[in-house]
Amino acid sequence: MTYERTSIPDLADEYVLGLMEAADAVEIEAAMERDAELRAAVAASRERFLPLDATVEPVVAGANLWQKIEASLPLHTDTANPVENASANDNSRNGWRVAAISAIAASVILAVGLVYSLTRSVDPLVVAVLINEAGDVQAVVEDFGNEDARIRLLADFDVPADKTIQVWTLPSREMGPVSLGLVDGVNGAHLGGAELPKPRESQLYEITLEQTGGSPTGRPTGPILAKGFAKRSR
Amino acid sequence: MSVNVRVNDLDEALASCAKGDRAALREIYDREAGQLIALAQRIVRRRELAEEVVQEAFIRIWTHAHQYKADRGSARGWIYAIVRNRALNLLRDGRREYTVENMDALREDGQADEVMAAWQKLDRASRLYECLAALDDVKRRGILMAYVEGYSHGEIAGRLRIPLGTTKSWIRRALSALRECLA
Repeated sequence: MTYERTSIPDLADEYVLGLMEAADAVEIEAAMERDAELRAAVAASRERFLPLDATVEPVVAGANLWQKIEASLPLHTDTANPVENASANDNSRNGWRVAAISAIAASVILAVGLVYSLTRSVDPLVVAVLINEAGDVQAVVEDFGNEDARIRLLADFDVPADKTIQVWTLPSREMGPVSLGLVDGVNGAHLGGAELPKPRESQLYEITLEQTGGSPTGRPTGPILAKGFAKRSR
Repeated sequence: MSVNVRVNDLDEALASCAKGDRAALREIYDREAGQLIALAQRIVRRRELAEEVVQEAFIRIWTHAHQYKADRGSARGWIYAIVRNRALNLLRDGRREYTVENMDALREDGQADEVMAAWQKLDRASRLYECLAALDDVKRRGILMAYVEGYSHGEIAGRLRIPLGTTKSWIRRALSALRECLA
């Protein structure tokens, strides 16, 4: 992101207030890493508005939230030498490049997925390519509508013994996220055919890390591993 | 409220997290989680979403603690910003939209209340209060809607019934006036 030195205070405030477009916010986070003046402006802006954070009435934090946090912490070695650092902010210096490459990769995978599905007797209604925060393709979901859905994992996931990967979709805002099932195998899974409306173009699919047996609440509770939007197979 | 006390301890706790000390993260949780859940809930509305935000935020605090340095502001500001950012990301993913219908119904009372409550509870002795008070009502409201509830320029423009371009420019001017006042 290019910006005038004189606009740094404006940018810092707008970033801190959350008034920026997501893509610009990511660029600012990357620029902060190399621009000390911007970093200082953001820090100063945070401090200015921090008293407003003290105006909320604290709630009682349950012990089970801590248990969930503790259960999903990466090991110490990951902290010392963070592998998981590839979050959106950290590689945002190459943000657009990464996005472009992932988009190309996603198209290729999508094409492969479509060819694969065309060569089979039953076609999925939609195919969704799931991408993680860093923009890497992680899995493909094929949704056949009411009968079943299928997920194919395209990356290695580090799933602790007491965890499982759960697949979700968002058929509509009113319904909220609905579980399509759990991934048992390493490579993929057949998912149960929940009674859902026909999958549509651009429907959201995502996979999260949940406790063994699936989310206790019936809604996603764990970290999102990857997500993507459906494309209708044509 | 424990805000502003033992601030240095948060610095130390982050340094310990960076070394892999889970007890230090637990300490941050014990001290701040209640406040942080409430902060996230003010933005995402639903308690379970707020807890999800705080859960993700604590994992990020853990994996990024080594990046925290004093030139990034106070440890508290850094931690709170992570929670705010996660909550805002969740909004951008559209998940608050589940409650949009309800929110619109409650707009006149419930919504206005969050902003008003924050304004009324803001420490009267703080410079921030003094400087926000010096702004026009509508500018103050716009800034509070953005910071307190995570509204975008477009949402603020829509809710205050002001054209988008105008909204952007007066928020920018108001922020600049605030900086000058607080300098």
